[in-house]
Amino acid sequence: MMASQDQNEETVVIIGSGAGGGTLAYELTAKGIPVVVLEAGPYLRNEDYVNNEWEAFNQMAWLDPRTTSGSWRIARDFPNLPAWIVKAVGGTTTHWSGATPRFKAHEFATRSVYGRVEGANLLDWPLTLAELEPYYDRAERAMGSTHVHGRPPLPANNNYKVFAAGAERIGYKHYATGPYATNAEEYDGRPASIQDGFNFQGDKNRSKWSTLVREIPRAESTGLLDLRPLSQAVQITHDSSGRADAVLYLDENGTLHRQAARVVIVACNAIETPRLLLLSATAAFPDGLANSSGQVGRNYMRHTTGSVYAAFDKPVRMYRGETMAGVIADESRHDPDRGFVGGYFLETLSLGPAFLAAFVDPGSWGPDYTRLLDAYAQTAGLWIVGEDMPQESNRVTLNTTVKDENGLPVPNVHFDDHPNDAAMREHAYAQAELLYEAVGALSAHRTPPYPSTHNLGTARMSERPEDGVVDRWGRAHDVPNLFIGDGSVFTTGAAANPTLTIVALAIRQAERIADQLRTREL
Amino acid sequence: MVFPAKYPSLNATELTDEARSVLIRVIRVAFPHESFPDGPYERTADKILDEAQESTWFRVQLTQGLLSLGQLAGGDFRDLPDEQALRVLRRVESTDFFGFIRRTTVLNLYDDEEVWETLGYEGPSFDKGGYVHRGFDDLDWLPEPRIDYLPGEVLEEIAPGAPVPTSWTITTQAVPGNQPGATSAQGREARK
Repeated sequence: MMASQDQNEETVVIIGSGAGGGTLAYELTAKGIPVVVLEAGPYLRNEDYVNNEWEAFNQMAWLDPRTTSGSWRIARDFPNLPAWIVKAVGGTTTHWSGATPRFKAHEFATRSVYGRVEGANLLDWPLTLAELEPYYDRAERAMGSTHVHGRPPLPANNNYKVFAAGAERIGYKHYATGPYATNAEEYDGRPASIQDGFNFQGDKNRSKWSTLVREIPRAESTGLLDLRPLSQAVQITHDSSGRADAVLYLDENGTLHRQAARVVIVACNAIETPRLLLLSATAAFPDGLANSSGQVGRNYMRHTTGSVYAAFDKPVRMYRGETMAGVIADESRHDPDRGFVGGYFLETLSLGPAFLAAFVDPGSWGPDYTRLLDAYAQTAGLWIVGEDMPQESNRVTLNTTVKDENGLPVPNVHFDDHPNDAAMREHAYAQAELLYEAVGALSAHRTPPYPSTHNLGTARMSERPEDGVVDRWGRAHDVPNLFIGDGSVFTTGAAANPTLTIVALAIRQAERIADQLRTREL
Repeated sequence: MVFPAKYPSLNATELTDEARSVLIRVIRVAFPHESFPDGPYERTADKILDEAQESTWFRVQLTQGLLSLGQLAGGDFRDLPDEQALRVLRRVESTDFFGFIRRTTVLNLYDDEEVWETLGYEGPSFDKGGYVHRGFDDLDWLPEPRIDYLPGEVLEEIAPGAPVPTSWTITTQAVPGNQPGATSAQGREARK
């Protein structure tokens, strides 16, 4: 049952319905708090998804124009596609693979533990692992993470068999098929994985956790959720006391609406979140809403990533089965003797021929390129995901010369690798090559980072208002009833895939907001 | 203009059947797959021609670019053996027209069912019940791996040699793997 709230009624307005926004919508409505969720994209259902890479991409991806700058290869190869994220109800949880490692204790305190790193804007989180642990537990149970809380591991698929055998032979110990938020057996009313190999295209089988299959329908069933798809927030307005009082949004016809707000929670992923804050600049907030620190849009992180695809003389068929059900944690430790601070995971990954062709070596052609594809059925693949350094100059800004279809400035994403990022990637490529050579790879190819799937840091948490945008609860330092509920709040990125941490933070934030609403502090 | 007008033919702006057949040869040479039949190459060429029709500028560039290959080949590009044809394409690699062909080919040639079949990719699988009973784990040339973390194996989160502030208590974590267990670290309080 879907609620409908008056646009003039001051309510809790959540912008975005992904890992952060969808979780907040459920947690708040479950506590009896009515919410309006503004979702820029359409309400796609699991049965709408298609098992075809380009068709699904065009159906799900955020394709509104964006621009890029900086020395990252994305600016050359995919200048208008800095990020590969979703514009639909459920947000990027409908497209994610499913790996759910936690942050490590020291990853909340990198400035203290790593020390000063030239050119990096490291800062300790105003939060510890111990404080987040109960919420990690709740997030893992909600998402059905394998390997924890009694959830069984997924079985080994073909790509994992190569990955694990290689890991074993080069001496890695900490490898398994998860933690991974896709059901190995029926759980939480959803079926076990049928290993259909389609994750980035949305999971038609509903075995993979997403807010589309869990939090949104549960929030709907409370009768307290007013979900408005195809509603693109364009501005948060404030009253004369500096409190957020409404959200302006465009519907699918481009008509502007105003929804009054008592509390505003922004969870639009780390490119649109700072964009919205910057679009909300007024005389009282000349540099953008909640930006007295000047940190809105800065410290953009995307994880240090890359892939290695290795060809064998025997069949692998990596595309069969769960895409990322394979994790090696050995290199996720902090060991500066490797020549960089922080760590990285190796995780299985596969693409179909259409996407492998597009991403394996962008710009490439000729016999060396086509050999990579000829080996398709004998190819195994993995992904590197490691901590990258926050840098003030890596930044989301408004592009004042390029406008979207509504006449609004598009976001520009500027990114340069930090030398630490480059050193980590180089190490990871070499380890991945060793891994595959150990099980007889004929060749291994280094694939550069894909358009960013992990977008982080552009409204970071800080103890002191001058160092960041939000406090330890994700509340804006400058605006008492404005919260950020997505990966933008990450003070630093850690090595872990971010979704679990976004969900854990959102559950914790919802508790805080509910408490403060009850005590009238909000 | 990409090329000087002293070659009058370079001013041609309409794509001919001959241009189509040169284009197919260009794609074959630039993206050589011995196992691919002609169909995917022809469909890709037609896709490029279709897209070129949508933009006068692309059409002009493509027409002139394809004609220029004849100049560079010293005859008909289609008559060159693979090696020589590849060398000619290397010379035009940075031109707009070749970039247009390359991009459009990458996006379309491999999004083709006949190509998938040739490469051994099975396409949509949900309607067939996924691969859970159709070989998701049929790789048999490596030992069966374990799928769980080793019980009792501790991941050392910070290497022993790493300099860390004395205020930071180093502890290690119990399994499972990267999941903190009951003994997880309680260090910190050191802030900048």
